[in-house]
Amino acid sequence: MTSPVDQATVGERVVLAFHEVRKTFPDGTRALDGVSFAVPRGQFCVLLGPSGSGKSTLLRCVNGLVAPDAGTIEVIGRRSSPRTLPGIRRRVAMVHQHFNLVERAPVGINVLTGAIAQVPAWRALLHWFPEPLRNKAVALVLRVGLEPQHLHRRVGELSGGQQQRVGIARAFLCDPDLLLADEPVASLDPSTAQDILSLLREAARERSATVLCSLHQPELAVRFADRILGLRAGRIIFDGPPEHLDDAALARIYGHGFPTDRLELAA
Amino acid sequence: MIRAIRPRFREAAARLDPPYDWRTALAVLVVGFCLILSGQRVELDRFAALTGEAILAQLGLAEESQVGRGLGRMIRSLLPIAVEERRELARLSEIDRENLPWLARIERVETTRYELDRQTLQLVPVVETKEYLVEPFGYLLRVLGKMLETLEIALWATILSVLLSGPLAILAAANYTPHRSVYLAARGLVSFLRAIPELVSALFLVLAFGFGPIAGILALGLHAAGFLGKFYAEDIEAADKKPQEALLALGASKLRVLRSAVLPQVAPSYVAYTLYILDRNVRMATVVGLVGAGGIGQELKGRYDLFEYDHVGTILVVIFVTVFLLDQLSARLRARLL
Repeated sequence: MTSPVDQATVGERVVLAFHEVRKTFPDGTRALDGVSFAVPRGQFCVLLGPSGSGKSTLLRCVNGLVAPDAGTIEVIGRRSSPRTLPGIRRRVAMVHQHFNLVERAPVGINVLTGAIAQVPAWRALLHWFPEPLRNKAVALVLRVGLEPQHLHRRVGELSGGQQQRVGIARAFLCDPDLLLADEPVASLDPSTAQDILSLLREAARERSATVLCSLHQPELAVRFADRILGLRAGRIIFDGPPEHLDDAALARIYGHGFPTDRLELAA
Repeated sequence: MIRAIRPRFREAAARLDPPYDWRTALAVLVVGFCLILSGQRVELDRFAALTGEAILAQLGLAEESQVGRGLGRMIRSLLPIAVEERRELARLSEIDRENLPWLARIERVETTRYELDRQTLQLVPVVETKEYLVEPFGYLLRVLGKMLETLEIALWATILSVLLSGPLAILAAANYTPHRSVYLAARGLVSFLRAIPELVSALFLVLAFGFGPIAGILALGLHAAGFLGKFYAEDIEAADKKPQEALLALGASKLRVLRSAVLPQVAPSYVAYTLYILDRNVRMATVVGLVGAGGIGQELKGRYDLFEYDHVGTILVVIFVTVFLLDQLSARLRARLL
């Protein structure tokens, strides 16, 4: 069997490739322990794993919020390094668990800041965004299911689900090649979580953007993913389509307590 | 600024102690003893005696008190406050009698003075007529003009301090400073600016720039820059990190992150600090005027030194009214901007 990296690097279809990436935090936590995989263009790839399995660290290595100790990362054909990072970051957007929006700023401005790194400095400092960009932001706000009157409301006044819709609109403003989603629905109720994931998937498909999304609910992963990567203790221990994620695989990812563990918690 | 005091969990004891013990009592005793010692040094005992005497005098239980006498004399000399301006016409060179200033009139005052007749060696009355130019609201207008100058000094000092402290705050914020050494230098400069009292720097700046508003603007502006620099920087450091990380992940530079993710968060407190500084500068601008740094303070000092207490009264009333109005204005401004 050829490794996923070898398969990936042959074509230009590959958007993201990890090769033997390792990261140990100063406190001794080994977050990534030799991670290798490749994601082809347009795939909705879900990272599944318990808390502390390294999902966040993996995602944050892609856009350089965390610097790996060893291994190489290739994003959109460019080897990630401090020199290439600014260019990579402009092509890679991120949706965050806690939305990471500016709560005091209105929805419209929050969406427009998605282009903050791509407009000239004077426009960025004056928040004087060009008209095509403003029109695009409005269209995106409507696309993610918000109303025109939301444009001028402060983000802090919106519900969690609405805030994440703003976060998605911001992420898609500059048509990223790769979208990273770090537990995008972990702070939302189950039905909103479904809506948000559907939106994320459809919006990504419309723009043929690749998505790498971490989740901790297997049922959501199975429902939305093209491919699932199971992560445990910093290693990929499952890699395959959702159909292959059976109870045995889940037990390997979450430990043998799964799923009885969760039922006990619910009781 | 205020950090929560964290309990020290050395060993988790399975009990809850009352919040006070013998150490608390000892601390209260020690602090109380120090305060008593210090109180004697600053004559608090004499203060209590004098105040008590004044209250008893008011109630008619004691003879006139020193404090009451002093206060009464002061208030009597301040009132009635001077509103008109009265100048001897003979000393004014450029007055056109046909075309007097608005509302002004000329008053003739006859004074009789006794002169020694050299022949008879007797005192004979001599009647002299002096002419005065009287402007009914002349002095009030003059004080209002000085007050406007004070307000302008305060305004420009505030503008100067904001312009100085904005960049200084970025350099003095640990998470946005370009380098550790720049951070230390900026922090040092901010502390230094804050450490010099306005009145002291005004004294020296008057020597450098001469009497007038320049010294006032610089003295107030530099001190306020030290204040604002510290508070602006602390707010930048304490701003929510999550939106900053989001913009950083999009490839935004530090300056862009500051503009888009930090500024909206800190804006309300920046407005509050700056309005406080404006308010403080108006009050301090009158004080630095006392050492010759322009504005109404300079007028106050001049009249006080000439024992013209009715004029001092006018100035005080104008200051009170201005500060009150400004307070109302800044409260409204705050409500609108926040």
